[in-house]
Amino acid sequence: MKECSEKMRKVASDALQKQEVTAVLGWRKKDFWWQSPVAFIESVDDVDQLVWDPFTVFNPVKYLLEDYDCHDKVGIFVKGCDSRGINRLIQDKRLDRDRVVVYGVPCEGKADADKIRASFASKKIKKVTIDGDSLIIDVDGKEERVAAEEYLLDKCLTCRYPNPVVSDKLIWEEVPVRKGVNEARFARIDNMEKKELEERFSYWSRQMDRCIRCFACRNTCPACNCRVCIFDQAEPRWLGKANDMGDTLNYHIIRAFHVAGRCFECGECERICPAGIPLQELNRKLIKDLDEFFGEYEAGLDPEDNPPLGTYRGEDPAGFDES
Amino acid sequence: MKKIAKSQLSKMLSMLSAEAKLYVPVASDGVVNFAPWQEDVEVDLTTINVFVPPKKFFFPQTEAVLRYDISDELEIEDFACKAGDKTILFGVRPCDVSSFAMMDKVYLGDPVDIAYRQRRENTTVIAMGCKSPDETCFCTSFDLEPGKAPGADVLATDTGEEIVLSAQTTKGEELLTQLNGLIQEATSGDENKVKDAQEQAKEGYTTSVNVQGVMEKLDGMFEDFYWDRLHKRCIACGTCTFVCPTCHCFDMQEYSTGSRGERIRCWDSCMYSDFTLMGHGHNPRPTQKERVRQRFMHKLNYFPHQHGDYACVGCGRCVRKCPVNLDILEVIQEIGGAAGGM
Amino acid sequence: MSVNLESHEPLIVAFCCNWCSYAGADLAGTSRMSYPTNVRIVRVPCSSRVNPSFIIRAFQRGADGVLIAGCHPGDCHYHSGNYYTRRRFTVLKRMLEYMGIEPERFQVRWISGSEGAKFAGVMNEITQEIKALGPNRKLRDVR
Repeated sequence: MKECSEKMRKVASDALQKQEVTAVLGWRKKDFWWQSPVAFIESVDDVDQLVWDPFTVFNPVKYLLEDYDCHDKVGIFVKGCDSRGINRLIQDKRLDRDRVVVYGVPCEGKADADKIRASFASKKIKKVTIDGDSLIIDVDGKEERVAAEEYLLDKCLTCRYPNPVVSDKLIWEEVPVRKGVNEARFARIDNMEKKELEERFSYWSRQMDRCIRCFACRNTCPACNCRVCIFDQAEPRWLGKANDMGDTLNYHIIRAFHVAGRCFECGECERICPAGIPLQELNRKLIKDLDEFFGEYEAGLDPEDNPPLGTYRGEDPAGFDES
Repeated sequence: MKKIAKSQLSKMLSMLSAEAKLYVPVASDGVVNFAPWQEDVEVDLTTINVFVPPKKFFFPQTEAVLRYDISDELEIEDFACKAGDKTILFGVRPCDVSSFAMMDKVYLGDPVDIAYRQRRENTTVIAMGCKSPDETCFCTSFDLEPGKAPGADVLATDTGEEIVLSAQTTKGEELLTQLNGLIQEATSGDENKVKDAQEQAKEGYTTSVNVQGVMEKLDGMFEDFYWDRLHKRCIACGTCTFVCPTCHCFDMQEYSTGSRGERIRCWDSCMYSDFTLMGHGHNPRPTQKERVRQRFMHKLNYFPHQHGDYACVGCGRCVRKCPVNLDILEVIQEIGGAAGGM
Repeated sequence: MSVNLESHEPLIVAFCCNWCSYAGADLAGTSRMSYPTNVRIVRVPCSSRVNPSFIIRAFQRGADGVLIAGCHPGDCHYHSGNYYTRRRFTVLKRMLEYMGIEPERFQVRWISGSEGAKFAGVMNEITQEIKALGPNRKLRDVR
């Protein structure tokens, strides 16, 4: 892990020194063991901040939009999931490929701080590092070694693209795709589809009832890149600000539908939801249906093609009565 | 001082729920929130921070303030004076209890918010003293004692097998009188246990900040370059404001179906682009920089200037929940420059 | 808004494409075919003009059923609008079902300008279905 951080720092400092880029986006460490926020490196002096650790999970791609307009060329470190966000922005005509230098960082999965906390309840964790396939957890002054596999984020357990799909430079070697990810991809959706209608409604209304309408799911999503979001529009106001079930369902249905065919399954929406709403189950339901009806499609792989709801074929099947 | 065996707790709650709407912390799908007490719910006595802070009982996320109907003759129904059924909150943590005092400064100051006052008066708060802190707790930095909750009506302390209850207000005394026959008189041994627990609770804090002088320093920082750097990471979600026990900004919205409608008051977040958007299209806080600055200036400068206290109780929810790890702890540290141990 | 269960007459909002389905409604009228008054027509330039938000908002504000009616595939006045309609609402419809909304509540049909009888038939059929389901409570604003 240390070597990985070193490699990233080297790449960033070279690029900044040669003035190939004027800023680099990566990750850095903050006070708590589970905090690895995005780092904005604008000077060679700051490259030592860069780290690669079990918690460098936040997708930095969306920062390329507004904040970095002031830079002509930005370097960005992307994991497999993040990299599809780059294609997302290019396909949506929100990012000029020439403006970014993409450093690909193949990723074996990131750790879930909540899972770690649950295992070491009421103990003081100081530091968590990774060594091969184990996590080394500095807890109550002792070092505990546990299998990293058991502490991976749920979204990483179903990750089908651990290696960046777009990069100008791969920082280290590619990693193998996990076994069984294709089978696991729609498992939760298949389960839900088998349930009775009323059971499905009570499940979703229970989940949505926790929503506080913070819009974190939308704001972190690279597919949610409209210049003015319909939900922020005051006149006409399409989404009431009152947090009641009608408006909350409205929000979640429209959010998911708006990214239908464009969601590339990075799973950040679900991961950062403070209320723990299983948003991927909505996104993936749409992907599953789109695949089933209109042919398999992987978003965020080819910036040149049309997403499934942006195109059609005359012989498309329909999910309603066409008689 | 009274006490009750933990095994009798559900009996006590059942008695309380007969008199008023009773809310207790309950875990559902892994998220702990205050929920109506029912015979079969399991009360969560260990989680320190419930997800949505209990400020919602006095200042709900959404409330109708008036309703009108013009389909026949104009009818207006005013809700302000009707707010507040008799309510009991069980298990409020000391940090959240002290946040009520801050909300009071805003809503019970001039002009008094009638609905808020009504709810406040009709609610009895049973606080639950903390045993040991979470890693993100820093209430002690604001001189709060995790084992005590001066603003609560009743303070409950977990002493192992039993819960010791001490009334701190007349409302609290009345509540305990109701429970006569079920709860027992606490002994001096129990009182010592409570004292020990309160001392014990102060141990184990790994997070602290020095808030000394932060307000004064911020006086001259409105145009500081610091905000240009700080806001970059913010993705403009409202998580921090909605999980904050002291954030109290709201928006008035009109809900109309043509002939009928409601005027609704709902939580708003200074992180949102439409928070200060004017009717004619101008926005005095055009970018996230001004919005992030507003949030921290309000908590650490404007509020203490106006009301004497920092608008933070150190619960640590924003530290835990912020998706990009931008929180008040960091701001206090960087501005104060004198950080405690981490 | 409160719903009177005893005498519940469903409210159905039909978004009709100007060139086909709306003409179909017109033909139904001029041919003196009757269909229930529960249906309220909103004329749209093309079935693909219908934003999913329109549908959800209709449900929120009291609709018990929503219908989108457009030209048959291949007949679109704008060449391809209804092909997009077909894709979009196929997935939206399935998603609403997935979230527990009765499938009958949201329907899409192709009705041409010459199909006055079909228009009246579809409206009768849908009204019956929605009546049997009772009022929409799931997506309605509770106010």
